[in-house]
Order: sequence, then C-alpha cells, then structure tokens
Amino acid sequence: MQVKSMHFKATSSMKLNDAVLQSAMKKAKGKFVDGRAAAVAEIEVWEDIRAHAAALRDRVIANLDAYLLEFEANATKRGAVVHWAESATEANDIIVKIARDNAVKLATKSKSMVSEEISLNDALEAAGVEVVETDLGEYILQLAKEPPSHIVAPAVHKSKEQVAELFVNAHHKPRLTDIPAMTLEAREVLRNKFLSADMGISGANFIIAETGTTLTVTNEGNADMVTTIPRVHVVVTGIEKVIPTLEDFATLIRLLPRSAIGQTISNYLTLTTGVKGQGDLDGPEQMHIVLIDAGRTKLVGRDMKEMLRCIRCGACMNHCPVYQNVGGHAYGWVYPGPMGSVLTPTYVGIENAGDLPNAATFCGECQVVCPVKIPLPDLMRKWRERQFEQKLRPWGERFAIGLWSAFATRPTLYAFSTKVAARVSAWWAGDKRRITWLPGLDGWTDGRDMPAPTGKTFRELYAARRSGGGRLS
Amino acid sequence: MSARENILQRIRAQSGRQGETNDAERAAAREHIAKHARSPLPSIAQGDPVTGFIAECARVKTSVEQVASLQAVPQAAARYLSENALQMHAVGWSALASLDWQGAGIDFEDRLANKDDLVGITDCFCAIGETGTLLLLSSPTTPKLHALLPETHICVVSRARIVTCMEDAFGLLRKERGELPRATFFVSGPSRTADIEQTIVIGAHGPYRVHVLLVP
Amino acid sequence: MKVGLFVTCLVDLVRPNIGFAALKLLEDAGCTVVFPESQTCCGQPGYNSGAREISKVLARKVLSEFRHCDYVVAPSGSCSGQMKVHTVEDLFKGEPDEAEFVALAAKWYELSDFLVNVLKIELLPSTHSSVTYHDSCSGLRELNIKAQPRILLSAAGATINEMVDCEKCCGFGGTFSIKLGDISTRMAENKCVNIAASEAKVLVGGDLGCLLNIEGRLRRNGDNITKVYHFAEVIAGMAH
Repeated sequence: MQVKSMHFKATSSMKLNDAVLQSAMKKAKGKFVDGRAAAVAEIEVWEDIRAHAAALRDRVIANLDAYLLEFEANATKRGAVVHWAESATEANDIIVKIARDNAVKLATKSKSMVSEEISLNDALEAAGVEVVETDLGEYILQLAKEPPSHIVAPAVHKSKEQVAELFVNAHHKPRLTDIPAMTLEAREVLRNKFLSADMGISGANFIIAETGTTLTVTNEGNADMVTTIPRVHVVVTGIEKVIPTLEDFATLIRLLPRSAIGQTISNYLTLTTGVKGQGDLDGPEQMHIVLIDAGRTKLVGRDMKEMLRCIRCGACMNHCPVYQNVGGHAYGWVYPGPMGSVLTPTYVGIENAGDLPNAATFCGECQVVCPVKIPLPDLMRKWRERQFEQKLRPWGERFAIGLWSAFATRPTLYAFSTKVAARVSAWWAGDKRRITWLPGLDGWTDGRDMPAPTGKTFRELYAARRSGGGRLS
Repeated sequence: MSARENILQRIRAQSGRQGETNDAERAAAREHIAKHARSPLPSIAQGDPVTGFIAECARVKTSVEQVASLQAVPQAAARYLSENALQMHAVGWSALASLDWQGAGIDFEDRLANKDDLVGITDCFCAIGETGTLLLLSSPTTPKLHALLPETHICVVSRARIVTCMEDAFGLLRKERGELPRATFFVSGPSRTADIEQTIVIGAHGPYRVHVLLVP
Repeated sequence: MKVGLFVTCLVDLVRPNIGFAALKLLEDAGCTVVFPESQTCCGQPGYNSGAREISKVLARKVLSEFRHCDYVVAPSGSCSGQMKVHTVEDLFKGEPDEAEFVALAAKWYELSDFLVNVLKIELLPSTHSSVTYHDSCSGLRELNIKAQPRILLSAAGATINEMVDCEKCCGFGGTFSIKLGDISTRMAENKCVNIAASEAKVLVGGDLGCLLNIEGRLRRNGDNITKVYHFAEVIAGMAH
C-alpha cells in the first residue's frame, strides 16, 4: 500500500473537521472502550493471562526459526504447500502464479491486513483475477476504493448513509435506510461469489507450529466460506504469527475478542489443517501458505522486538486519544494508532513515517490495555530517538531541544533566563494575564491561550523570602 | 539463496545465532510443544460445564432445549422448526440419519448441504462450557457446510460431551483422534456483523439461528 | 526528616504559588524542606523528544542535587514518573550509576502520594468548593496516583464532582501540544466539555502542564469563570 504517513499532521487536521468521521468515531469509542472494560472485568486472572501470553509470544519470537520450521514440516505433512516471501513483490508474484496455474477467474477473500500491506488485490486484478472482499467492512471499502481505517473494524469511519450510497451504485437496487437490510443485501450478493469462486484467500490470526494449522477468527463466517468452498485456498500471513501449541491458541483467544470488541468469544474460530482428505465432501484441493517477512525480521532480536508479540486486536487504537479524534486514515498506511506508529516506520522506513512516532501524548492507555503487554509508548520513544539521531525532525525542533539543553544544564544561565522570561511574558500577556499569540508556539496559541507567568520565578521568590529569614510560608 | 533461506538466516543473524537451525534447537521447540503449557484459567472456565454451557449459549444467542433422549431429537427439532415457521426439510449428518425424522414430519436428507438448503442438522465432537461453543470436526461424514450454508443450524449436543474449556477440548481431541481434521470448527452462536456503525446484525454470511438440542 | 523539593520547571516559571503551597504543606507537617537552587528540569522533554543523552545528563544533575535528602517530593506526576520509572527501567538500566538511581527512585515521591502514604497528614477543612479532578496520565498510569489527591481534597472539605473520562488525556503531552497543536487542542476541548458537564466551577489536577493546557482552552473559549488549581494550592488554603 502506498505510504502517506508523512502527511499525518495535515491530514489529521482535516479529519478533525470531518463531521461524518467525528460522529462515527464517537459512536465507536463507546462500544469498543466500554465493551472491553466489561469483558475484562469478568476475568479475575486477566493480568496472569496477559503475562502468560506475553511470555509465550516472547518465547516464539526468540526462537522464531525453529517454530517456523516446525510449522512448515507439519503443514507440509498435511498436504499444504508452504511458500516464503521476503517482500511484498515476492508474495504477490507467488500468489499470482498460483492463480494463473489454476486458471483462477474469481477469488473471494476474507480480511487480511497483511494483504493490505502488499496490495495483493491490485496485483491479482492486474493479472486478470476478480477479487472480492467478503468481510462486510472490507467489502464496503472495496466499493468505496478506500483502505481500512481500523484493523478490526475496517469501515468504522463510514456512516450508514455512505454505505447506502455505495450499495445503490454497486447493486443497482433501491436505496436502503436500515442496517439489517443493507447487511442482507450484501449477504445475497456475496453468497453468489462464495459459491462460484475458484480461489479463496484468507489471512491467519495465528499459525500453529504443533499441527501445521492456520486459523481465522471471524464473527461473520466469511472466512469459513472462503476456506471451505473454493478448490484452492491461499493463506497469506506474516512470519511472526506462529504460536507453538493449541493451548497457546486457547490462551490468546481469551484475550483477543475481549480486547478487540468486548466479546467473550468470536462466533467462528476456524482451524484449517491441510487439504481435503480422502472421501471429504468439502474443503479445498490445494492449500498454499505464504509466509511473509516484508520487514518483520528487522525487529527480531532488537530493541523493539516486543512489537512482534502483537495479536492485532486493535485495543491500542480503540483507546488512543489521538486515534479517537482523527481516525485511522490520517496515519497514512495499513496500521493506524499506537501499534501502527511503531510498525509503519519499521516496515516502510522511518524517513517515510513522518510524525507517526510523535502522534502520541504518551498517556499510556495503549500499554495498559494491550493484551500482550507491548510497551507501545517506549517503542514509539525509541523511534523518536532514531529520528533525533538521524536529524529527521524539523530544524526548528532540533534547535529548540539544543537551546533547552544548553540552558537546563547551566543553572546560573537558566535562573537568569527564566527570570527574564517570566517578566517578558508577564508583560506580553498584559492585564488579562494570558498570552494569545506567541511566536514559534503558534501550535499552542492557535487553539489555546497560554496562562501567563506571574512575573517572578519560584527560585527568585524563594531566595527573597529566605533572605527575609524564618519559615517560608 | 531462496527466500526461505534468507528469511531464516536473517532471523538467526538478528538473534545472534550462527549457521542453520540445528537439531538441538528443533528438539527444544518440540519439547516445549509437547508440554502443552496452559495459562491460568478464569473461574468461568472452572465451574460445572453444563451449567456454564447453557448460560454462555444465551450470551452468544444460541438457543438451547433439553431433550430427554437422542430418540426424542426429531420431535424436538420438528417443534422448533414449526414454532419458528421454518421449513420441515433438512440436510443432516449421516450419524443422525437413522433417527425417526419421518415420524416427526421432517424430510431429512443425508447429503452435502448446498445453497438451497435452509436447515442443517449436525451433532458435534464436543462443546465448551466456558464460552457456549460447539466444536465440529470435518470428515467424509461430517462436512462443514451443513453448519455454514443453511439459515438454521440445529446441533445435537450430548451433556456428557461438554467440557469446561477449550484446553480440555483439545485434550479430548488429541486423545480420541490423535490429530486435527482438515477443519476444526468452533461455533459460538449465529453469524453476526457490526461493520456498519457498530450495530450488531445477526446473519452476516452464515446461519441466522443456532439451536442446540441437549441430550443426556 | 530532610525533604528535597523538586519544584519542576513549569511551576518555577509559571505558577510559583504551587511551589509555595507544597512547601507549606511539607513544613506544616514538620519536614525540613530544602530547595536546591541549581535545579532546572528533570529531562523529560528531551527524553520524549528522542534526545536521550541530554536527558541522561539532566537526570544525573538531579541526582547530584538531591542525593543528600531523605526524600524528594515533586508536585507533578509527570516529572516523578521520569525520575521514579524511566531512569530506572530505561535510561540507566545496566549502567554504573543504576543503583544510585534506584535509590533516588525509592525516596522520590509525587506530592499527594507523599502526603497521604508517608506523612499520613490530617488536614483541616479549608474550603467548601465543589471541584472536579483531572487525572494526569503519568501520575495515574506510571505511579498509580488516583486516590491520594482525592483523599486530600475531601479532607480539605472539597466535594468532588467526577467528570466523565476524568482519566482521559487532556492533550498536553509536553511538546505534543505544540507539534500537533490541532489534535492537542481538540483533546483539551473534549476535556472542557466534560468539565462543564460536571457542573463543578473548579478544576483541580496534579500536573501544571495539563492545567495550563486545559485552562488555556477554557479561556480561549471565553470561560473566565471556571477556576483551575493544583491540588496543593487547594489543600494548603492557597487557591487564590
């Protein structure tokens, strides 16, 4: 997917004034945040499960090669073909070739953020394959020709009126006004696609080393259609998704839907192991699993390796005050919110990630709600350190830090300059005791006044009172 | 070098390990897998599994009816279908074909479900109390489509086959089957979506109704 | 008991009254308070801007200034988080002076935490205001400052009208408030809406950065009625 993260600041300012988006984000916030809180409150050992989950993810990441090889051996035993792709291009080439080899005309697809990373739909369409997204949210966005704005609820930014408009144009039927009717109309359109597709493409929430299994978690059941009906099934997933055992899946599934949308369990958990067996009436004849690197190995063994624990629940963005106010598109690539602000620079390069590592107040909510305890603010800060070291931040900002450091490390100079600053800004503020415009700080004063200093620093007043003798109060 | 070797090599280099993944490392991974370590269980995964199952089914909108015996299943299914004004015609799994469906007024076909089938009847490998979940395993006689394509899915669950948690279901699966079938399918309630304005709508792509007939 | 007062750079420059309120509270409770006059900044602005080495220089400076104290107290959760958490868990982890920072972290307290859990002070009611409290992020999530300021405010006679989302970030975030001013302003605006809905006419918090941000938005909106105070000012009877 094309990277637009460098425009975060401008885009986010625009999104703040997008009424439809603002209304959609307000609705979503209540459901995600309150829903999660209630679901988590039911589990008295939540913190113990989180700790166990973080440790199990760490163990895999620390021995990623061994677990991937274990997965490959077991999947192969069951008739699946395991492919490895270092880059988006390699992955697309592999999948296009599978489609060509099998004369695929129509592919149905269940939601996969990895496929968004590599722009798989574009590659298949260029090769003459019709690709239909079947997750309702993704289907809506395919009609709108937009990328997802959330990793779990991709069309969270859309209003039902916008969806109705898209359906009128695509389905050539009367305009609908209620959500169940729209869902039914999409069901009917997509049912035909499910039944006639030659190839099914799914992502994988996890892949299990023990059994060579890939698995999907959905509420709609679309992934089940996609992995059961077509004669060829292609799984596209990242190498970090491997977990050792079925028990590990049981652990993670206690965390995932609760963290994502406050559900105790998702409706359909589908473990797919190999191809249609002897005598089976349904299931694909071929199963291809494409394991993608595309930047993931850069995190292995390094100071941001915790990011590879991520199970893609979306809780960090749901709770992020920045995401809540600007939505996902402002982030300019596949992954929005705090996890995106760490992953985007990793996958597309820090020089292309613009303000993303700075798109956080470090309020820490993301870290508190992360089911696998990823220290997201710390990881964003590490990216800020890289930006600082590589001089990637604007000149003015670097100058300001240099200036601040020069003063803060020299107490006499600092005392003098703050004394002057307190007086000058008190004078600048005037009788109202607040500053409405300050050169260089218009980022603040555009939307807020600056309550003015009172004229003398604490240090001065303290010295004065002490020379006056006695207690200070 | 192939992409596979490059990726594996990069992982090892980043982790500070030399050469290819060796036998000891592979064995260590296998040993860890063999432990099948479990995380701490919440109390909802520890109570009486049948009570838990019934309560959790209500939460995921699976309806449950207790039935006196397996033989009484067709009558109960017929009652459910007629109360909900549904078609008395079903496609079902072979193991259930010998029940007296005709006597209950249901036209029961033992074949693969297709797009025109409105009612699918299956049993299950086991069910899970913690989450009100049905576990279906695919096989030549238990295809997955019965639980997916029809608008109504009726599932026969034996009380004796309700386990407390997913870990126990996997334990049972290892013990009785040895390995996973092609499709290991956990169903918790009817298909749903909330993709338009986070409004929950039942019946996105799969069944609108999941009805459990609970037999001894 | 010798208590070092780390007054914070913002209080020093913008609202010295908070520093004197903290001083009064500590001295009234019998502490011998010292104010090392060479103190400047804890280093957090640099740390959060990626200037790691500079922040370490400043943290070492703070260490040298307060080494001799039995306790260090700061009227800020944010600076306290920097000195109690980030120095130990990140900046000096595995470094030769790690142990010294661990020792400093152990004796460093955010003001409300110190008053409630170390001094266990008893306040006489000095106000009858109805206030609403904004939980600043660092104090809340890094140091678990939640009950302490409320206990103190209640003891001082204040009634707390909790606002919706009192734990939600106000949008300050240090340099974030300038770098991404539009988003920061919107977050402050959301906070103002919740403050208004609480019907309290006084906003109280524990970090001056957040208070300046929220007050700045209130005033820009033309609200000159809602008062904004640090809890130290309220409970010391110095809110004026």
